[in-house]
Amino acid sequence: MTELSAWFAFFPSFPTGELFKQLLAAGVGTAAFSVLFYVPRKYYGFCAACGAWGWLTYFVLEWAGMTVTEATFFAAAAVVFLSRLFAVMERCPATLFMIPGIFPLVPGAGIYWTAYYIVTDQMELASRTGFSAVKAAVAIVLGIIFVFEIPQSFFKRVLGKKRAGETARNQ
Amino acid sequence: MKLEENRAPDPKEESMAGDRQEIMEIAMRAGHILLENGAEISRVEETIDRICRHYGIQSANSFVLSNGIFSTMGNQREEFFARVQHIPVSGAHLNRVAAVNQLSREIEEGKHTIADLERCLDDIENMPGKRNIVQIMASAVGSGAFCLFFGGDLLDSAAAFLSGMLLYVYILYGGYRLSRLVEHILGGALVTFLCMVFYHLGLGHNVSSMIIGSVIPMIPGVAFTNAIRDLTDGDYIAGSVRMMDTALVVLGIALGVGMMFTAYYRITGGNLL
Repeated sequence: MTELSAWFAFFPSFPTGELFKQLLAAGVGTAAFSVLFYVPRKYYGFCAACGAWGWLTYFVLEWAGMTVTEATFFAAAAVVFLSRLFAVMERCPATLFMIPGIFPLVPGAGIYWTAYYIVTDQMELASRTGFSAVKAAVAIVLGIIFVFEIPQSFFKRVLGKKRAGETARNQ
Repeated sequence: MKLEENRAPDPKEESMAGDRQEIMEIAMRAGHILLENGAEISRVEETIDRICRHYGIQSANSFVLSNGIFSTMGNQREEFFARVQHIPVSGAHLNRVAAVNQLSREIEEGKHTIADLERCLDDIENMPGKRNIVQIMASAVGSGAFCLFFGGDLLDSAAAFLSGMLLYVYILYGGYRLSRLVEHILGGALVTFLCMVFYHLGLGHNVSSMIIGSVIPMIPGVAFTNAIRDLTDGDYIAGSVRMMDTALVVLGIALGVGMMFTAYYRITGGNLL
């Protein structure tokens, strides 16, 4: 913990307090939605970790100067990566962790503001926010697709798990 | 030739035929549970195939759409079997997906007899649901947290907590009977209305954060994620159907929120923000 704060102190402008508030909110929110989706109880913590991890990635990258779309792409990729790691670890579908974990990245605010601007007849703002919401959604799609192309064996190797057949042959 | 046609059926082969039918039924049931509860198409197909292969059926074929399973078996050696199952879209119970996944793993390891499987699937189908109050509270906590997340303060979050709670009461006790589009239009309108009322009562001052937070429980996360996975797996029909579902739901929510804003403008003559 002290190491972490020392690291943050290196960047005085980094909004640490804001980040922790948002990470906590993202984690709690994600865990609440994993209840709604009937994720088994023992995995609530994993889901919260996925949500918070995705948001941490987004927050840091955006702070470092990336656009919303780029940051969303990497954050989605981070969520899916962690989900697949958990999936191999726990031997269950990655979807379990991914569906709630992706929620903080969903451009809910973008959709809301688009609807708001359309209703209040501010068409230029509406098309701008609407388009950036679509861009964020596409970024999520790309993040998911790319990480799913990584073969399962990679995650097994990362976790040091070998298939039963392989160990038998190696012995 | 004639002799062969008229020969009495071998009792051993006969019993095997019954078994094969049963295995197909079991494989389809497993597929049914998966599809109904929010699994990707490729997982459904793979599970059906795996169960069939493991118990020695060579000629099984299955074709899975987002709301139906078509399955056939039959060649020179194996008798014919064909079945179509229609599977209406319903809520995602990911615990059942995980359970069937685990079961299919155990089948591969040879831990189950056919008679045993029937009971396992019964158990999975009868997994207890969450009580309504638990779901309502989960929606409330989620809404509150996401309101905070989208820039609200604690008071806004409390308002979002309440409207997220009432939103799920609406979904559980009425909304689910409506068509999907109307359900979400009314849901969006309800949330917007509630947030406006809370705002005028002095509970919370950042209406947008409140509305965004409490709309989140309606966002179709399962349909969206599965749509992407199906499209990347090449299951374009199911993928586009699910993507369509996502788009429709999001559009519905936005329409509901927008309609309520318009109504507010007409009644009070002023914009809220």
